[in-house]
Amino acid sequence: MASTLRRLSFLVVSSAVLSTGCSRKAEQPQTAPASQPAPPVYHVDSATAGSIHGIVRYQGKVPPKKPIDLSEDPACVEAHHGKAYDESILVGRGGALANAFVYVSKGLEGKNFATPAEAVVIDQKGCWFHPHVLGVQVNQTVDIINSDPVTHNIHPMAATNRAWNHSQGPGDPPMHRKFTKPEVMIPVKCNIHDWMHAYIGVLDHPYFAVSAEDGTFTIPNLPPGTYTLTIWHEKLGTQDQQITISPQQSAAADFTYKGK
Amino acid sequence: MVPRSALIRRKTLLRGRIAFPAGRLGLGALLTTLLLPVAGCKSVVPAKPLGTPVSIHSPLGLPPVPIPPENPPTVQTIALGRRLFYDQRLSKDNTLACASCHNPKFYFTDGLQFSKGVGGEVGVRNAPTLLNVAYQPFQFWDGRALNLEDQAASPIANPIEMNQSHDVSVSKLRRDPVYRAMFRDAFGTEDVTLKRIENALASFERTLLSGNSAFDRFQYGHDSNALTPQQVRGLAIFINPVKGNCAACHTINAQYALFTDGKFHNLGEGVGDDGTSFKDTGRYHQTGIETDRGAFKTPTLRNVARTAPYMHDGSLGTLKAVVDFYAGGGNSNPNLDKEIKSIHLSGQDREDLVSFLNSLTGDLPANVGPPPGKE
Repeated sequence: MASTLRRLSFLVVSSAVLSTGCSRKAEQPQTAPASQPAPPVYHVDSATAGSIHGIVRYQGKVPPKKPIDLSEDPACVEAHHGKAYDESILVGRGGALANAFVYVSKGLEGKNFATPAEAVVIDQKGCWFHPHVLGVQVNQTVDIINSDPVTHNIHPMAATNRAWNHSQGPGDPPMHRKFTKPEVMIPVKCNIHDWMHAYIGVLDHPYFAVSAEDGTFTIPNLPPGTYTLTIWHEKLGTQDQQITISPQQSAAADFTYKGK
Repeated sequence: MVPRSALIRRKTLLRGRIAFPAGRLGLGALLTTLLLPVAGCKSVVPAKPLGTPVSIHSPLGLPPVPIPPENPPTVQTIALGRRLFYDQRLSKDNTLACASCHNPKFYFTDGLQFSKGVGGEVGVRNAPTLLNVAYQPFQFWDGRALNLEDQAASPIANPIEMNQSHDVSVSKLRRDPVYRAMFRDAFGTEDVTLKRIENALASFERTLLSGNSAFDRFQYGHDSNALTPQQVRGLAIFINPVKGNCAACHTINAQYALFTDGKFHNLGEGVGDDGTSFKDTGRYHQTGIETDRGAFKTPTLRNVARTAPYMHDGSLGTLKAVVDFYAGGGNSNPNLDKEIKSIHLSGQDREDLVSFLNSLTGDLPANVGPPPGKE
């Protein structure tokens, strides 16, 4: 009885407080950031835009392919279809180096680029991240898919962005995540399968590419100007190149990593 | 300053006991309404059990059942509670009983991700087992009831569950001479009241005990062969703070094991794509404390192999998926429990854990199925 009375008096007091209008406070947004008008989106003039293309090569003795043991999770062995190899240095014919991330690191200051509406996809398939290296723009949606019959727990170990991890079971719907700040690169792992690695480059512009199996890359639709082009590779480090693009020019920029 | 949501919560708590005016009625009307029940019409009919006292026996591995002094179990209240538990007349369209979602065939769950209410309404939480519910300091996933008496009638009136006002339930039962006799035997008069219904249901639920599992025989029964070698390995991982760390919340004591600390923890289950917000805020819904957002009560692991699917939202279908979820460190969010972190468990470790969890299936108690004549 006493506790009932306490509850009741609590209600009387609180409803009295509410009816005097203090509830206005609750209606205010709690976390309103100081809103600034977004700077206008920069439009690239297609009449003058140029591009950069190039080949990434690896020079030296190609390290032997290192097999990866998935047998800790038998379902992974089955899902992977065939042998798994470490892909941290993927060298193809003629020393072509795949999975290098090439991007404009200087020369675009002050330009604000639109966020693409289409999502970038990371698929967890065969207990492997596909792709291994990818680029995405700030606030662009990343769809994370689990195509496997096992649970994964994707963990982008971001330093500038918020680091997070999230479990995704077999058949779970895709996650739709975003990174809000530029960061090159964010290492990604699976908390459950320690051989699973990927890297995400987050940029506030669209001028980036990942070298293909034949080592080639293309960065299109670039305004004429002088830029620093940076290449990142998970094992081989970074390199810079200055490059000037004249109107409508397709400029070449090759990179070479020297192995031991 | 009391947030509006707290007020709404209080109202929800009281709903069904007192006809409470919605919104902002004048103070006078409010007080009148509030004083009515205090004046006494509800407290006239005593709800103290009479009849033959029962001492509830705890099986191996479980402590003595806590008994509230105002509702000691009797043969008569337990029998009445059992009949009520299986009675579909407690739902609006006479299709659902307590046992519909807490079905003895499914170890007092329903085997579904979300339970189905009257008219096909679907809830947002997974029906927990009622086995060993007598030991829990809080009821419901968010702990909004403190004891079984407070809990028992709530799903009856919940619009997405049995959806029948308590007044209607009382009058339906009153029309049944069998019930009138049972209420008389249990409480001294034929009066059917909500409090009596709650007391009887709670007493019946206190008999839903399940112990004497292989784990219990191993741990408390001195039978070192009760667990397989793999299950013994799984137990070691379960209690090891730097391996599984499961026992941090799913507790095992020296004399007994409830496999729950009865507290609320945030695993990140159900966190949205922004990595911070929860559609179902769990314990926060009850307390309004920011750090309770996304925290839910630790469920017991007894009989866990028979009570799939798992988690408050029934999102994990198998024990393997649950072990993988924890091995991955749950889902990050601002209130993730400090005990949840990415742990290295080999494939073998995880298989051992699942095997151990299979050793927690206990005996089912006698005389808890549908009452004679109601099967």
